[in-house]
Amino acid sequence: MSAAPTPPLPPPTPSPMDAPSGGEDRFKLRGWHVALVASLIGLFLLFYQGLWGDPSAIPTVLIGTPAPTFSGPTVVDGSTFDLSQYRGKVVMVNFWASWCQECRLEHENLLALYNQFRTNPDFVMVGINYQDKLEDARQYLSVYGSPFQQVRDLKGTISIDYGVYGVPETFIIDKQGVIRHKEVGPIVGPDYNLLTERIIPTLLQSPGPSAS
Amino acid sequence: MTFDLVELGHVAVILALMLSLVGVAAPILGLRTRNGAWIVMGRQAVTLIFLLLAIAMGTMIDAFLTRDFSVKYVAATSNSKLPLFYTVAALWGGHEGSLLLWVFILSAFCTTAVWLHWRTQPATIPYLIIVESALMFGFLALIIFLSNPFERLIPAAADGKDLNPLLQDPAMVMHPPMLYMGYVGFSIPFSFAMASLFSGRLGEEWLKVTQRWTIFAWLCLTTGILMGGYWAYYELGWGGYWGWDPVENASFMPWLVGTAFLHSAMVQEKRKMFKVWNLFLIIMTFSLSLIGTFLVRSGVLTSVHSFATDPGRGLYILLFLATVMTVAFGTLIVRSPKLRSLIQLDSIVSRESVFLFNNLFFLVAMFTVFLGTLYPLIVETMGRNKVTVGPPYYNAVFMPIALGLVFLMGVGPSIAWRKASMENLRKNFLLPAVVGLAALTAALAAGIRSPLALGGLAVVGFVASTIVFDFGKLTAFWAARQHVTLVAGFFTAFIKNQRRWAGLVTHFGVLILIIGIISSTIYQTEKVVSMRVGDRLQLGPYTITFKQLHAVTGANWTAQEGVMDVTRGDQFIAEMRPQKRIYDVSMTPTTEAAIHTIHTGQIFVTMPEVSQDGTAMVRALINPLVLWVWGGGAIMGIGVILNLFRPKRDGT
Repeated sequence: MSAAPTPPLPPPTPSPMDAPSGGEDRFKLRGWHVALVASLIGLFLLFYQGLWGDPSAIPTVLIGTPAPTFSGPTVVDGSTFDLSQYRGKVVMVNFWASWCQECRLEHENLLALYNQFRTNPDFVMVGINYQDKLEDARQYLSVYGSPFQQVRDLKGTISIDYGVYGVPETFIIDKQGVIRHKEVGPIVGPDYNLLTERIIPTLLQSPGPSAS
Repeated sequence: MTFDLVELGHVAVILALMLSLVGVAAPILGLRTRNGAWIVMGRQAVTLIFLLLAIAMGTMIDAFLTRDFSVKYVAATSNSKLPLFYTVAALWGGHEGSLLLWVFILSAFCTTAVWLHWRTQPATIPYLIIVESALMFGFLALIIFLSNPFERLIPAAADGKDLNPLLQDPAMVMHPPMLYMGYVGFSIPFSFAMASLFSGRLGEEWLKVTQRWTIFAWLCLTTGILMGGYWAYYELGWGGYWGWDPVENASFMPWLVGTAFLHSAMVQEKRKMFKVWNLFLIIMTFSLSLIGTFLVRSGVLTSVHSFATDPGRGLYILLFLATVMTVAFGTLIVRSPKLRSLIQLDSIVSRESVFLFNNLFFLVAMFTVFLGTLYPLIVETMGRNKVTVGPPYYNAVFMPIALGLVFLMGVGPSIAWRKASMENLRKNFLLPAVVGLAALTAALAAGIRSPLALGGLAVVGFVASTIVFDFGKLTAFWAARQHVTLVAGFFTAFIKNQRRWAGLVTHFGVLILIIGIISSTIYQTEKVVSMRVGDRLQLGPYTITFKQLHAVTGANWTAQEGVMDVTRGDQFIAEMRPQKRIYDVSMTPTTEAAIHTIHTGQIFVTMPEVSQDGTAMVRALINPLVLWVWGGGAIMGIGVILNLFRPKRDGT
């Protein structure tokens, strides 16, 4: 394959099996041996376990459970919004912040979605302003517009109750007050279609609590 | 079907896979039968693998250039409108091609190492061939059975899906190959270490042989990481260069342990200490490279670098990883009784002990990154919610460790081996300590209050002066001894011990880098506002005027471009043109930053959002001294290159 002259053969190599083992070199189990083996096993088990999770799927711990109720002052005038008043309706809760770039990405879709369902008396949409300054939030809403209610999460308790770890996040609550869907990240592309064509219409058609 | 290059490449990879088995088996037979012909056959096998993989790479590149969209991978990562330059780079724009590149580099390095060290290392070469061939087998099997880039699309796609627009960038073209050369480069010291463990030749030889390989791998990895940071800085548009993303961390962890190994290897060379420790470090470095590949490619972790996930693939990589790590660490444990150092640490105040602390700090640093990266996975495994670990954790935990390391960087090269006397300490460190304190006082007087910035400046002052005094003293010594000028003395001093001085140049680069990082993270000014044409924005001392918003088009994208004037008082500084691009094929938006450099800082403007009524979301930043980050990196690189190409002497 190559015209280069072949270097001389290597001399016979001592095989590990041939190596004499001196008395003081006898193998003895030491602390670091055990620690190393234990950490390797732990690491492999962790990785193995991690393989079966979907990295983009968010745990469904809240889905199927009653939505935590909340109340708080609205961004626009400070009057109180109380979720418990809307029991029996399909509620879409959207967590956002003025500093959040991705929230801007979905804002137009939020407006479109609201326009699509606003005539349905069973549909309620509420934005939760997350870790934000009031003036920034107001400026954001004045630039982008907000026909639906916006609530301030003053102490961050609403976000904690809903397990929000970033914005935007969106929850859909059914007429029984149970969380049916959770969306992480902006509602764009197929996610938007899924919400507007399947999830929300289905929930709106389902019977209210009185019927059950 | 007529003669088809892609099929030729496919066959070449299958042949390479079979030859990798020969590469494992032949040297084993050779060792058993003591017949050198088998070992020559092993060498021929790895050489042939290299040639076959070169053919495979060539055919893949040809498929990209001829826009053969009957190849699934080509259709997935390129498009007929993709510029030529990026069409070649699209080869490593996805999972399958990246793996092919990985194993190609592995075979190139392995072949080089086998031919380079064939005469001088006859006893360890057979083991090197076995280990490297086994690694190649692992990756080639993954390529053939689970991520085959030669897979066909029937019927062929009319056109491709296009390369991710974020990857259509010059820095991104070079970033993956550099990173892989770093990862794979560490496989050579790793294989020599394994060869030493298997063969029972447990002396310092493997370290001396691989010293340059280690430095080379380190250089590639460092360059790769810095390029990734540079790419993130001007392409991702958030104004930072390091986000502690799991994928970034995956490349940073082997760097940290590799750097520890680079240093502690010197102790074994000079003092025959830390034998087990060095083997542990190199095994760890290479394992972390593999773990990085696993984390990135299996989809175990959530990351902004969204790669395709496939549990089957992940399981395979995990099994491979577990095998490599079990064999490597297992052999180390079995061999450890023979590796006891004969020499004990003489004093806690000595260069040996500084190296020991250096190692501990690097490992602790690696562990903090490791924990931060895996914490979300741990929490998830325990059945809790998903969490993410962000920059605040790393800034709080990692930064102090980094400063400790920088401090040791000043102490290490100047403290005496074995036991430093008070005299040695006073002579070498009294003045630098004064300079460090002076820097601290000056910083306090200048109104700096951030503990990180204060600590950083004090440490940088201290270390810089140890380097300057060290250079100064030897320059004066050689100038006086050879009766020449100070400049000539400086060069003599440099040439007399190039290895040491090259190392100090690298250290100096680190200092510059640290200043850049501290300044551009702590003293960054940021404004995010929505603007319309005619609006003004005050950013620090600068006024940014939004003059115009218009549409521009490129080869495969269209964009909304903002034209903005930057002024300071009455003085015109620059015109900046940030863009919001939409790539035609994938319809993916990207944010192109406009960057203007003032001294060594930068004004950085992006438009993350442009609405239809002409309102633009404008994000403007001042990153003071940010060029020091790249400048420091360049100086580090120069130091390493001086180290690689130093004249050979005294067997070092």
